[in-house]
Amino acid sequence: MFDVKIDSKGEVQLFGRFDASQVEKAKAVFDSLEKSCTVNFKELEYISSAGLSVLLATQKRLNESDQKLKLINLNKYIGDVFRYAGFDTIFEIE
Amino acid sequence: MHKKFKRDIKSLESIFKFIDDFIERHALDHSLTFVLELVVEELFTNMVKYNSNNPNDIAIELNKKENDLIVVLTDFDAEPFDITKRPDIDVDQLLEERKVGGLGIHLVKQMMDKIDYEYKNRTSKIILTKHLEK
Repeated sequence: MFDVKIDSKGEVQLFGRFDASQVEKAKAVFDSLEKSCTVNFKELEYISSAGLSVLLATQKRLNESDQKLKLINLNKYIGDVFRYAGFDTIFEIE
Repeated sequence: MHKKFKRDIKSLESIFKFIDDFIERHALDHSLTFVLELVVEELFTNMVKYNSNNPNDIAIELNKKENDLIVVLTDFDAEPFDITKRPDIDVDQLLEERKVGGLGIHLVKQMMDKIDYEYKNRTSKIILTKHLEK
């Protein structure tokens, strides 16, 4: 089960498992972002390269207007995936 | 454990269940669940994406042999796709230069200890090994 929502503070909240079958659902939300925002991974258990691709495409698009994503509360395994992918240098991770 | 899965991204849910059952059966550390799910997802979705007209199911085999975990994905009646010969991606590139292609295979290479490839009688087989900590 995967879900993605924008909360009342404008923070993107991810839930569950972000695998290749969830790309369209995630893109619908990430494609709507126009300004810098925080993505909260607290309730996200799993992510694969399909999920990383959605985040990368969003970061690239926002970067063109000097905006960016900030990622918070990554669990240990997801943090490892970001490091293996070299994404820890292209995202602000807290 | 051995099972065939329909060549469809929607098979991922049952593949994850298959991996969870394997972890339970061998009483393996739960940190391995994430690793196995990720490497199998990356290779399975590659087979679905690059060989979408193939009507055959894809076979996944999970084995524990002493201190090794062995994962085998078999694609039948397929063109060769030797992931061991794919060039490495450059993870030090700047944001503007970063591309999505090859990221999944890069993660598989990072997370597993050994990758072998066999191609015989139009059967394409990727064999991954991970050494377990004693």
